[in-house]
Amino acid sequence: MRISTDERDDVLLRRAARGEEDAFTCLYKRHQAALYRYALRMTGSAWSAEEIVQEVFMTLIREPKKYNAERGAVGAFLFGITRNRVLKHLERRPREFSIEDASPNGSYYREPVDPVTPAVWAEQRERVAQIRDAVLSLPEEFREAVVLCELEELSYEEAARLSSCPIGTIRSRLHRGRALLLAKLELLRQTPRRATANG
Amino acid sequence: MNCDEFENLGLDLNQSGADAEQRAAALDHLRHCSHCAGLVESWEEARAELFLLGDATREAQTPLRVEMRLRQEFRAQRRPSVFYRRTALVAAWSLAVVTLVAGAWNWESWRHQQPKKPAITPVATNGTQQVAAPNDVLLADSDTSAFIPLPGTIPIESGDASVMQVRMQRGALSALGLPVDQEHVSDWIRVDLLVAEDGVPQAVRLHQATTQEGTSQ
Repeated sequence: MRISTDERDDVLLRRAARGEEDAFTCLYKRHQAALYRYALRMTGSAWSAEEIVQEVFMTLIREPKKYNAERGAVGAFLFGITRNRVLKHLERRPREFSIEDASPNGSYYREPVDPVTPAVWAEQRERVAQIRDAVLSLPEEFREAVVLCELEELSYEEAARLSSCPIGTIRSRLHRGRALLLAKLELLRQTPRRATANG
Repeated sequence: MNCDEFENLGLDLNQSGADAEQRAAALDHLRHCSHCAGLVESWEEARAELFLLGDATREAQTPLRVEMRLRQEFRAQRRPSVFYRRTALVAAWSLAVVTLVAGAWNWESWRHQQPKKPAITPVATNGTQQVAAPNDVLLADSDTSAFIPLPGTIPIESGDASVMQVRMQRGALSALGLPVDQEHVSDWIRVDLLVAEDGVPQAVRLHQATTQEGTSQ
């Protein structure tokens, strides 16, 4: 059966549960990127993010009835599963920094845009690597606040809803996360930089 | 506003949700406090780098292989239900066919067990069958020893008589001068009649089943 691109998520999920593969694919394509980005930014590993997204949608395939429309949208439901998986992953491997990897199809970190010269490009790359390290070294709850509010550019309300906590908590986590981030960046910059074009 | 109050607002005044008055106080504090001004400057710099990081991952997508794997899993998960549906369909059809065959067989058996129309099959007493009987049930026993002579008849030579198998109601026996149980006058029974050459019945013989019924009554 043909699937309309503007079909609602819950309708797609119902149809997928009835065995319509196209409905499932449509649902997957609609949500995979956001979930992957969140997982990637939280774990810093393309492989982990890939595994997490796969597990999330496997759950959807195996237990579509876990979704309860009264408790929120399908997107929020999927994000909730993703978040749980990410936290579990971080518990298992709290210090995984395989952040330089790139997936074979190049879907991971893009190179900085419009590098004026190789020197600028290298400088930018170095800075991105430093900030990535700093973000990944934050405690989970602060990292999540920074990822949601700074990288995903969500409002406090949205971040609070997705993190299932009050808005004041998000505000305070973000504040502390920023302070910690600044301190870590300060530390990172004090250590000798890797070779750049500027030397 | 002091440094603690400023920090409580957060480093980003735009995102802090501060009202106009708080913003004015915060900006005033920044003009006089080099520590907080330095913090804000550092944060602006860090924010630009965060933006770079965000930009570097903005287009990130799950690799295509994940979609392929998931679709494969989706098909595998759905396969059993299709299998069971087909099995159920086949089972239903098989059951229907078996029921139909059994029904037909039962009907055929029932039809064969139904009593035939009243038939008279003349059988020669000397043992040669004069008319081909449709089945064994209608064949009369040519032995004339068990015949009961009917009242008012003169015994004849058995060689001149014929045995006729007759299906009749029990009540008709009274017409031949035999006693009949009134409760069973409408029952159908099978009897052999010993008929003389002139066509008058001379003797009657009840079949075994009929005799047993008669004696039990």
